Amino acid sequence: MVDRDTAGLALAVVTILAVLVAVYPILPTNNEPFSELGILGPSQKIGGYPTTVAVGQEFPLYVYVGNHEGVAEYYQVLVKEGNQATVISNSTAANLPPVMTNSLVLGDNSSTTFPVTLSMSAVGLNQRLIFELWMYNSTTTTFDYTGLWNQLWINSTSS
Amino acid sequence: MKVAIFALVLASLIALGAPQAFASSQASFNGASSAVEYAFVAVQNAGKDGANVSALVAELNGALTLIQKASSENSTNPGQAVNDLNSAVAIAQAVQASAATVGQQGMAARQSQFELSVGSALVIIGIAIALYVYGDRIYYRLWLRMYGSHVVRKSGG
Repeated sequence: MVDRDTAGLALAVVTILAVLVAVYPILPTNNEPFSELGILGPSQKIGGYPTTVAVGQEFPLYVYVGNHEGVAEYYQVLVKEGNQATVISNSTAANLPPVMTNSLVLGDNSSTTFPVTLSMSAVGLNQRLIFELWMYNSTTTTFDYTGLWNQLWINSTSS
Repeated sequence: MKVAIFALVLASLIALGAPQAFASSQASFNGASSAVEYAFVAVQNAGKDGANVSALVAELNGALTLIQKASSENSTNPGQAVNDLNSAVAIAQAVQASAATVGQQGMAARQSQFELSVGSALVIIGIAIALYVYGDRIYYRLWLRMYGSHVVRKSGG
């Protein structure tokens, strides 16, 4: 026969577990919100990126964007053509006009991969194709730079 | 002479009309972008209220695709571009209208979930307290009901 103290303790443990299960759906989640940006090669995999292309020659790439911000988000992927001197960081976007802008809305915990066809306009070694992720700010009604960016180093030739 | 005057008038009309067409097209782009932004804010708020907004997000992306299409065809077929932009605006407005309803449903579902969870927790705690206080009595009564009719016999008799 189990004594009364042990039975009381077991009852308390079972009760706490059952209450936790019952209230779990309404507990606030404390996950760190984040977004994702990735550049994939022509076969939708990491790798196979072009390294040397002629000016004006089109080449396909894929852009991956993921949303784990906890709410739906409205993104813009800006593609910019820069070079070694172009300044970009996690806090400052490249001060260049975008050569391509892709807008998309993503639900929470979802991602998408979409194709882009790009070409280089300037001849030179170590040209950079810069991909920046911007996110709509409903308070300021503008797109803010998320600090997420990627780049491809490309040698672009005249022919 | 008449032909020259006609050509001059025609050229003037085209010259006057072209910037206007561009201006209206630019206004359409701005209007479509604003409509999508308003719709997105409504969808985001509905999501925050606990609604499932995946269908609305898909529709918004359809509107964005139309705007992108209009942008690429604007120089070659401005009329079609304006049509696409108008369609994008219609989609965005429909999404915005639906988002309000979906958001209310989400809020109601969240409220129901909250009540269910809290209610379940209270019931569990109530049962636990009752078991702790009356557990012995309940156990003995059940024991008596199950084994009360049993007769104890002397072994080896």
